[in-house]
Amino acid sequence: MRISLQSKIWLTVCSIVLLFSFFILIYFPAQQEKYLLKNYNKEVQNLAGTVALGVKIALTEQNFEGVQTALDFVKNDPHLRFVSMAQTDTLWNAARTGFKMNRVIFKTFPENAIVAMDVQSNDSIIVKSAPFQTNIMSGEILLGFSTDEIIQSKQQIRLTSIIVSITVFIIGIFIGFWLARKISVPVLALRDAALRVGEGDRSQILKSSAHDEIGDLTIAFNKMVTDLKQAEDKIANAQAQLIHAEKMASLGQMSAGIAHEIQNPLNFINNFSDLNIELIDEVADAQSEVEKKELLADVKRNLEKISLHGTRADSIVKNMLLHSRIGSSEKQLTNINAVCEEYLQLAYHGIRAKNIEFNCTINKEYGIGFPQIPAIPQDIGRVVLNLLNNSFYAMDERRQEDSKEFKPVLNFSTSHYDGKIIIRIRDNGKGIPESIKAKIFEPFFTTKPTGEGTGLGLSICYDIIKVHQGDLKVESKENEFTEFVITLPAA
Amino acid sequence: MKKILTFYFAVLMLTSASLHSFAQSHNLVVISNPKGAPTEITHTELLAVMKGEKQRWNDGTRISIALMKSSTTTGEVTSEKIYGMSGDEVNKFWLALVFQGKAKAPVFFNSAADLETYISQTPGGIGVVDDTPEVKSKPMLVDGKKSL
Repeated sequence: MRISLQSKIWLTVCSIVLLFSFFILIYFPAQQEKYLLKNYNKEVQNLAGTVALGVKIALTEQNFEGVQTALDFVKNDPHLRFVSMAQTDTLWNAARTGFKMNRVIFKTFPENAIVAMDVQSNDSIIVKSAPFQTNIMSGEILLGFSTDEIIQSKQQIRLTSIIVSITVFIIGIFIGFWLARKISVPVLALRDAALRVGEGDRSQILKSSAHDEIGDLTIAFNKMVTDLKQAEDKIANAQAQLIHAEKMASLGQMSAGIAHEIQNPLNFINNFSDLNIELIDEVADAQSEVEKKELLADVKRNLEKISLHGTRADSIVKNMLLHSRIGSSEKQLTNINAVCEEYLQLAYHGIRAKNIEFNCTINKEYGIGFPQIPAIPQDIGRVVLNLLNNSFYAMDERRQEDSKEFKPVLNFSTSHYDGKIIIRIRDNGKGIPESIKAKIFEPFFTTKPTGEGTGLGLSICYDIIKVHQGDLKVESKENEFTEFVITLPAA
Repeated sequence: MKKILTFYFAVLMLTSASLHSFAQSHNLVVISNPKGAPTEITHTELLAVMKGEKQRWNDGTRISIALMKSSTTTGEVTSEKIYGMSGDEVNKFWLALVFQGKAKAPVFFNSAADLETYISQTPGGIGVVDDTPEVKSKPMLVDGKKSL
C-alpha cells in the first residue's frame, strides 16, 4: 500500500493529537482525581485525628468544655456533614466470661444529623474515624465530609481537559496544514519538477523561500538542473563537433572516390573535346560532302558523350553537395538500389584512391521489383558508405597481414522480404572478435589506430537506421567474415 | 492459669474493699463562697447542686462547682460519697450533661488550696475538699453537719 507523504504527515499529527487527547481526557484526569481523592481522604483523616487528640486532652484534663471546643475545630468547615463522638463500652456478660464491644454515638453535630455507627464513605461523603482512649471513656471521632468540592474539582478538571484537548486538536489541525504546506507541497513540487527534468525539460527552476532542509533541497535541485543543462550543452557541443569531424572524415573518404569518379568523365570530356577539335579541322579539309557528313556525325557522337559525361560529373558534384549538407533532410521516396550502387562506387573508388594496390571482387545482387521506400537518401547512403568503408578497411588489413593469396571479396545484396528491405554487406576481412562485438555500436568505440577513426561511424549508422524504424545487426567470425544486415521498413 | 486469675481477682476485691473502707474513713467538707451560697444546705439539695439539677442559688447567683480531679484521692472519695459513682462515671455523667447543654461543667483542681482559692474568688461557688486543718474557708453545713 502506497501512502503519500501528506498522508504520513497527517497520520503522524493525528496520532500525536489522539495520544495527547487520550492522556489529557482520560489518563491525567483519572490520575488527578485519584490524587485529589487521596489527599482529601488524608486531610479528613488528619482532621479526625486532630479532633480526637483534642478530645483526649480535654477528657484527660477533665475539661469537658474543651471536648466541645475540640469538636468545634471542624464545625465551621463548609464541607462538614457531621462530626460525631462515639463511645466504646465493654459489656461483660453476667458471668464475666465474655464481653462485647458496644459502640454508640455519644454526641453529633449538627444535632439533627442522624449518624449510624457503621456509616461508610460513598460518592457524596467521605467518612473517617480517629480513636481516642482516656480513663473516662474510649471511643472515636467520626468525621463526615462532603465530596462536593472533589466533584466540583473533577468537573473542573474534566472541563479543563476538554478545553485543552480541543485546543490541542485545533493546534494539531493547524500544525498538520502547516507541515503539509511546508513539507509536502515543496516535496511534491520537487517530484513534479524532477519528473519534468527526467522528460527532458531543463527549464525547471523552483522558488525556494524556506530556510530549512527543504529549502536546501530545492536549492540543490535547482543547481543540479542548471549543472545538468550546462553539462548537456557541453556534451551536445562536443557531440556536434565529433559528428562534424566524423562527417568531414567520411567526406574526405568520399572525396577521393568523387575525385576518381569525376576524373573519368573529365578525361572523357577532355579527350572527346580534343578529338572534336581535330575532327572539325578535318571537316574543314574534307574533300567531299559525304566525308564531311561522316566527320560531323562523329563530332555529334563525341559531343553527346561529352554531354553524357558532363551530366555524370554534375550528378557526382550534386551528390557530394547533398552529402555535405548540414542537418537532416526530410524523408522522400528513395530507390535503395540506386543509392546503394552510387555509394558502393564511391566507397570502392575511395579506398582505391587511397591504396592503389587494393583490389576487391565485388559481387552485387540487387533485388528487383521492390518499391521505393520513404527514407533520407543521403543518410542511407552514409550508412552504406560507412559500412563499406569498414569492410574495405578490414579486408585491406587482412590482405596486408596475410599472404598475397588472400583475395578480398565483398558480397553486396539487396532484397525485399515480408514488407522489409534488407541490405546485406558481407566481407571476408579480419572479422570482429566476439569480445568487442557488443560494443561496436557504442559511441566512440573504435579499433582503428588513433587519428584514423572517431568511433562514431557505427554509432551514427545505428542511430540513422533506428530513425528509419529499421534495424542494424552484425554477424562475424574472426578471420573469416563480417556481415552487416540493414533492415528497413518498405512502407 | 486458673490460679493466677483467682489470685488477681482476690487482689482486686481486696483493693476495692480497702478503697471503700478508706472512703468511709475519709471526711469531706463542703465550702462555698459567701456571696450567693447559703451557710447550710440539706443533703438532697447538695446532691441536686452537684448533679447540675440546681444551677442557681436562691438569690439567683449562678452556681459554680469546683471538684478535686478524679485522679486525686479526694476526687475519688467525693465521687463515691456524694455521687455514689466512680470518678470516671462522674466524669462521663458531667460530659453527658455538658454535651446535652444541660449544665456547665465543674472546674476540676489538683490541689485543695487552688480549689479553695477559686471558691473564695467565685461568687456562687461551691466545692468539696478534705476535712483538714488546712482548710481556711468556713464549711457549709449539710443537714447540720460540718463534714460528710
